[in-house]
Parts: sequence; structure tokens; C-alpha cells
Amino acid sequence: MRATKLNLILSDVQSDTTVTRTETDRLITGNKLSAIHGCFASALTLIASEVAERAKVPLITGSSSDQLNKGRTYTFTPFARASQFAKAQLQMSKLVSDQPKVAVIFENTAFGTSTSNGLKELAPGEGVEIVMFEPYSAGFTDASPLINKVKASGANALFSVSYLNDLILIVRTVKQVGLNIAINGGSGGFVIPDFYKNVGKLAEGLQGVAHWNHDMDENAQKVNAEYKKRTGDFLFEYAGGLVAQTYMIADALERAASPDPQKVREALSALDVSSGFAAMAPGGKVKFGPDGKNVYGRPVGVQWQNGDLASVFPKDDARAPLIKS
Amino acid sequence: MLETVVQAVINGLLIGGIYALVSIGVTLIFGVVKIVNFAQGEFVMIGMYISFYLATQFGIDPILSLFVSMPVLFVIGVLVQHFLIRRVLGPNDMPQIFLTFALSLLLLNLSLLLFSANYRTVHTSYSDEAFHLGGLYIPEAKLIAFVVAMALSGALWVFLHTTDLGKAMRAASQNRDVATLMGINPNRVFAVAFGAALALAGAAGSLLMPFYSAYPFVGQVFVLMAFVAVVLGTLGNVIGALVASLMMGVAESLGIQFVGADSGLIVVFAMLLLTLAFKPNGLGGGRVR
Repeated sequence: MRATKLNLILSDVQSDTTVTRTETDRLITGNKLSAIHGCFASALTLIASEVAERAKVPLITGSSSDQLNKGRTYTFTPFARASQFAKAQLQMSKLVSDQPKVAVIFENTAFGTSTSNGLKELAPGEGVEIVMFEPYSAGFTDASPLINKVKASGANALFSVSYLNDLILIVRTVKQVGLNIAINGGSGGFVIPDFYKNVGKLAEGLQGVAHWNHDMDENAQKVNAEYKKRTGDFLFEYAGGLVAQTYMIADALERAASPDPQKVREALSALDVSSGFAAMAPGGKVKFGPDGKNVYGRPVGVQWQNGDLASVFPKDDARAPLIKS
Repeated sequence: MLETVVQAVINGLLIGGIYALVSIGVTLIFGVVKIVNFAQGEFVMIGMYISFYLATQFGIDPILSLFVSMPVLFVIGVLVQHFLIRRVLGPNDMPQIFLTFALSLLLLNLSLLLFSANYRTVHTSYSDEAFHLGGLYIPEAKLIAFVVAMALSGALWVFLHTTDLGKAMRAASQNRDVATLMGINPNRVFAVAFGAALALAGAAGSLLMPFYSAYPFVGQVFVLMAFVAVVLGTLGNVIGALVASLMMGVAESLGIQFVGADSGLIVVFAMLLLTLAFKPNGLGGGRVR
């Protein structure tokens, strides 16, 4: 930026709610912050955004909780919201079959229950039939009985709202049973390069939804190529989103012509980009509504293909066709 | 319908075989050394990581790596018994409980540090294959695990009943003082028992590796089932633990199939509660059998 350097101050909140609160406070009082990035987990971002709100410092985040768009004027969310992920997932099932019959299995936790209920509510509107809807105990030892039930339900698509280990077990068991079914794992930790390294070929064909993907547009591909050159891995969802967010802040700082957080907030709320790295989001446009939500925000459907995570949905963001089984 | 029931029973028996290896270890230690080893699950985890690294670094099949994981865990068991457990054996239970619990926490955190929290899986040619018979299927990796688990359980039983050392272990479990008077060295017997129990945990780890992911907390998943099986089958009773483990596997599987996938454990815990209410000493008799 015109002779001024953008300074990034890093801080580890250690996935701890108390640390998040004190670190956000410490960063704000100890430095003249213009804006804050983060966090990763919604539960932590909710806390950080409360602190930032009180201190009147803008916070920009890739966290997906819809809560972040309620009663806040300093929080900006350039990427898809949790409620949009469910809808995208249902629409993806229509790529698998003209008459999708979906089995929804979910871990019996707050995360599993709320996500699956979202799917259930939206399914009729999307013309998707849910033929099985079943909670299971998270951290189980054997997925066979559950997959037996999926088989009996006659489903042609399986939505698994699960954490990694359960998901791996489910994918393996589907293969053992010899069930030909498209599996969508929703938005979860399986969109990182490490997932494929650990799970290998089992991951092939696995679908999901993400708020950013490394191949979805030219700019993303450019950033990814640079990252890959240095690390050997592709740039994953959250990290890619952070690069875009950094350019959004830079854009706002340019227009604000001042590091003052209030002025940066004004500039962010007036942000309207459709090109450049700041617009590097699914849909290619960023403009914040009064609730801090990107009015163009939407998720991107992804699928593991040949060891890479390919964007497959919606059409505008797709870089490869969806492989059906 | 019949097919579904048969499939559920097959699934239950297969996973029950793994529960058995873990629970037999726990019950053996309890029977002979008279302590509850809360760290047993973490030794399963160590067995899994041994197999994982042998498979990924040297291309050794996880099932074959049992020949490494079992001796390694046996030695660890002897060392743990000699340097740690021996010091807290006495009339007071509390130090023993805290010791094995602390060991469990230490191993968990050490493995988080060494191996990270990532899930590690191994792929073998048979990992995701199954034998299909009519509408039924039997996953190959689980079938191998089950057969080996039963063979190891049988071998342990033969060892306990036919060898002098095995008989000494049973004698020490029945009455430590009298056994000592008869010339049995309890420390040696305890060390072998602890080693054998950990070797079984190591075997469970190696057998799990072709179809389950390794991660630092993996032992906790299996140890809960093992403790229920140990109580159901009567503390200290090897055959009891084996039978109870298989029963639990089947009960869990049928529960998931016919009650609900989040209710599989309800059936298992209901079994535990009923057993404790009507047969407080468990379904088997006492002692190491």
C-alpha cells in the first residue's frame, strides 16, 4: 500500500475460550490495531468478536456460525454461512441423481443434531427426499450395523455429519459392504491436504462443501501455485480465505487512508469488489450487508479427485465435473 | 429380516473379538496382580502406532507386525510392573488406581506430542475387501482379526492351565500368601502376567490397524467396552471376559440395528446393570480360569 506496510501480528488462542478473550483484549490494548482476522472455530470467533465489538475494532472472519451476523456492527463475514452449507449439500445431491434419496446419519452431539436438522428442514424445498434420518453415538467402534441400515433404506446419497474418525470408518464400511452410494461429508476437517495423506484412496469421490477452494478461480489458482511451490501442499480452505481477507482489509485501509479502526470499519462496510485478490471468494464478489454478511457469499461444493480437492459445484465455480460414485 | 439379524450377529461377533483381547488383558492383570489397569487402552494405542510405522516405513503387513508389537509390549509390561506397579502393591488401593490413571494420562499426552492428533490409517490389499455370501458380507480384515484374537485367547488359556508358570499365576491369583509359601516368586509371576496382558493389548492394536484409524485417544474407545466386559464376565475370569466381550459385541450390533444407532451402547449398559443387580459377581465365576 502506498509506501505503508501492512503489519500482521500473530497470536495463538490455543483453542481455549478464556485465552481467546484475554488474547483479543491484549492485542487490542497493546497494539494500535486497524482490524482483526479470525478465529477458526466459530465458538472462539464469537468470543473474539464480542471483545472487538466493545473495543470498536473491525473483525473479519471465515467462521460460519450465523450467530456472527446478529447484533454486531464490527464483524464482517465474507464467506458462506452455516445455513447456506446445508442448502448447497442438498443441491449437490441432485447432481448425483435426478431423484435424490438421501440417508442422513449424524453424530448425536449439538453439532450433529443442529446440522442435520438444518438439512431436514430445507430438503422438501429443494425437492430432495430424505429416506433415512438417524443419529449415532460419536466415536463408535463399528459402522457396519449403521451402514446395513443405510443399505436397507434404498438411499442413493449419504450425508454423514461426522467428525473425521467416524467419517473414515463410515467410508471404509461402505466400501466393504459394496454399497454404491455418493457420500457427502458436509463441511468438516476433511478438506485439508493431511486428510488425503492419512486416508489415501478411500477419500476418492468423497464430497463436501467449503467456503473457499484453491482452484475455484484464477486468483485462487495463482495464490495456490505460489503456496504449493513453497510447501508442496495445496492451500486449504481456511488459509485461502485468510489471504482474501487480508486483501479486503488492505482495500479498506487504502480507501480509509488511515489506520484508525473506526475508519477502517466504515471502509469495510462500503467494500464492493468483483476483481482482484480481495474478491477471491466463491461467486467472485464481496459486498457486506448491514449485518456484516457478504451479500454474494455462497459455499463451493468440492470432491476429492486423484488426490486433489476439486471444485464441482455450483457451475460457475466448478473446475471439474462431479464423479458420481 | 433373518438376513439382517444374521448380519448383525456377524458384525457383533467380529468386533467382540477385539473387545475380548483388551478385556482379557484387563482381567488377567486384575486376577493376578489385583490392580485395575486404567492405562490398558493406551497400550492398544501403542500397538497401533507400532504397526502403523512398521507398515508405512518398512511395508510390513499390520497383522504380521503383531510379531513385533506383542514382544515390545510384553517387555514394556514387565518394566512397568517392575519399576512402577511393584512399588504401590499393598493393602491400599488408592495409589494403584492413581498410578495407572496417571500412566494413562502420561501416555496420552506423550503420544499427542510424538504422533500429533491426526488420524493414521494403513491400507492393505484386504483392508476394504469382504467375502460376500448371498446377501451377507464378512469383512476380510475383521475376520482375520477375529480368528487371531480367538487363537491368542485360546493360547493364553492353554498357557494358564498346562505350564508351571501359568499354574503359578493362577495359584497366585487364588491366594498370594499361600502361593508364596509354596515357593512361587510373586514378583516374577506378576511381571509375566502384566507383560502378557500388555502383549494382548499390542496384538489388539496390530489387528485393529488394517480397518481402524490410529490416534492418541483411540484406546479410550475400546477400554470402556473392555471394562464393561470384565465386570460382566467376572473380574479376573479370562473365559468370562471372552464370552462377555462377544456377547457385548452382538448386543451392541443388534441394538444399533433394531433400537437405533445411538442406542447400541444402551443395550450394553442395560446388560451390565441387570447383571450387577441379579448376579453381582458377574456371569462367570471368580478366579483366573
